[in-house]
Amino acid sequence: MNFIDYYQVLGLDKSATEKDIKSAYRKLARKHHPDLNPNNTDAEEKFKKINEAHEVLSDPEKRKKYDQYGKDWQHAEEFEKAKSQRRSQPSGGGYREYTYSGGQESDFSDFFESMFGGGGFSRQQGRAKYRGQDFNAELRLNLSEVKETHKRTLTVNGKNIRITIPAGIEDGQTIKIKGYGGEGINGGPKGDLYLTFSILNDTPFKREGANLYKTIEIPLTTAVLGGEIVLETLTGKVKLSVKPGTQNGATVKLRGKGFPLYKKDGFGDLFITYSPKIPVKLTTEQERIFKELEQKGL
Amino acid sequence: MEKATYIFIEEFCNHHNIEVSLVHRLVEFEILTIEKKEEKEMIRISELPKLEKMVRLHQELEINPEGLQAIHHLLIQVTNLQDEVKLLRRKLHRFEN
Repeated sequence: MNFIDYYQVLGLDKSATEKDIKSAYRKLARKHHPDLNPNNTDAEEKFKKINEAHEVLSDPEKRKKYDQYGKDWQHAEEFEKAKSQRRSQPSGGGYREYTYSGGQESDFSDFFESMFGGGGFSRQQGRAKYRGQDFNAELRLNLSEVKETHKRTLTVNGKNIRITIPAGIEDGQTIKIKGYGGEGINGGPKGDLYLTFSILNDTPFKREGANLYKTIEIPLTTAVLGGEIVLETLTGKVKLSVKPGTQNGATVKLRGKGFPLYKKDGFGDLFITYSPKIPVKLTTEQERIFKELEQKGL
Repeated sequence: MEKATYIFIEEFCNHHNIEVSLVHRLVEFEILTIEKKEEKEMIRISELPKLEKMVRLHQELEINPEGLQAIHHLLIQVTNLQDEVKLLRRKLHRFEN
């Protein structure tokens, strides 16, 4: 538990007037208010500190106690007890007990709790309610897993959430799951959970939206003379006929053989680019045939 | 279990101790939409977090409706930019690897 200099938090010195405190609080609150700083936990923490400082310094009684004990706040309770014992001794009995209530779900620091007893001294009424913090989580999936809509149970901060993952979800896409963020402050509503999908490509295809791309090698003779090849798609094998005279880099489109469209019916397309394979080593016979072709003007 | 889909504006304003005119200004600035049923103004529950946020900013930071309109638009931009940065970081990370 560290001593917190509430004056420093608000950028003031000990001689600050009520007006100075209010003005400094307003200025800082406008800067660090959680509603103005989405997804910024630093701002939320700062805002809590500013609130706490304001809670103490704007209340004359609390400010007096804070000013009186300052850095020796740890001994504040002992001093108070000693004082009360001295007061009660002449009457011959009774022991004044200090019981602090509250502190169950406090948004104040340990320092504040220790000095002012959590909610025991604070004004419950009029304390602003704040929405809980939004949580961000990442879900890693393989591309082959998101080709179909499926359900999945996730555990986020000890809570199980069953979500539907729609087919065709994109890498980096974020979905909001309402009410699965942090607890609200002072009874405020819970934050939301933002789930970002990280899709690892475990397929031989390159994906762009719902379209898939692949470059395949074909035998030189198939490129020249044409022929048939068997190709593996996401949904199974297909037979493809290659036109005679197919050039290197020629692309064909297989309509509807791509990835499912996100939250829509239908599929994207699969684009196949041909890359005729040039033989590196030729047999004597093959070399003879190529030379013959050369002589014939090919 | 049946869930209420709407909240009466009057009820909301009484609860938060605000003038109905503030809600009307937010509607005028196209921050919110309200509906009228049987002569009573209502807001969809889905719109409630937005309204509550505006009320918090109004009450806690003393921001007037014109300021709320500016904040509303800027916050949309901030959120969109945050999403874009996240996406671009991810793409960059993929290229770096």
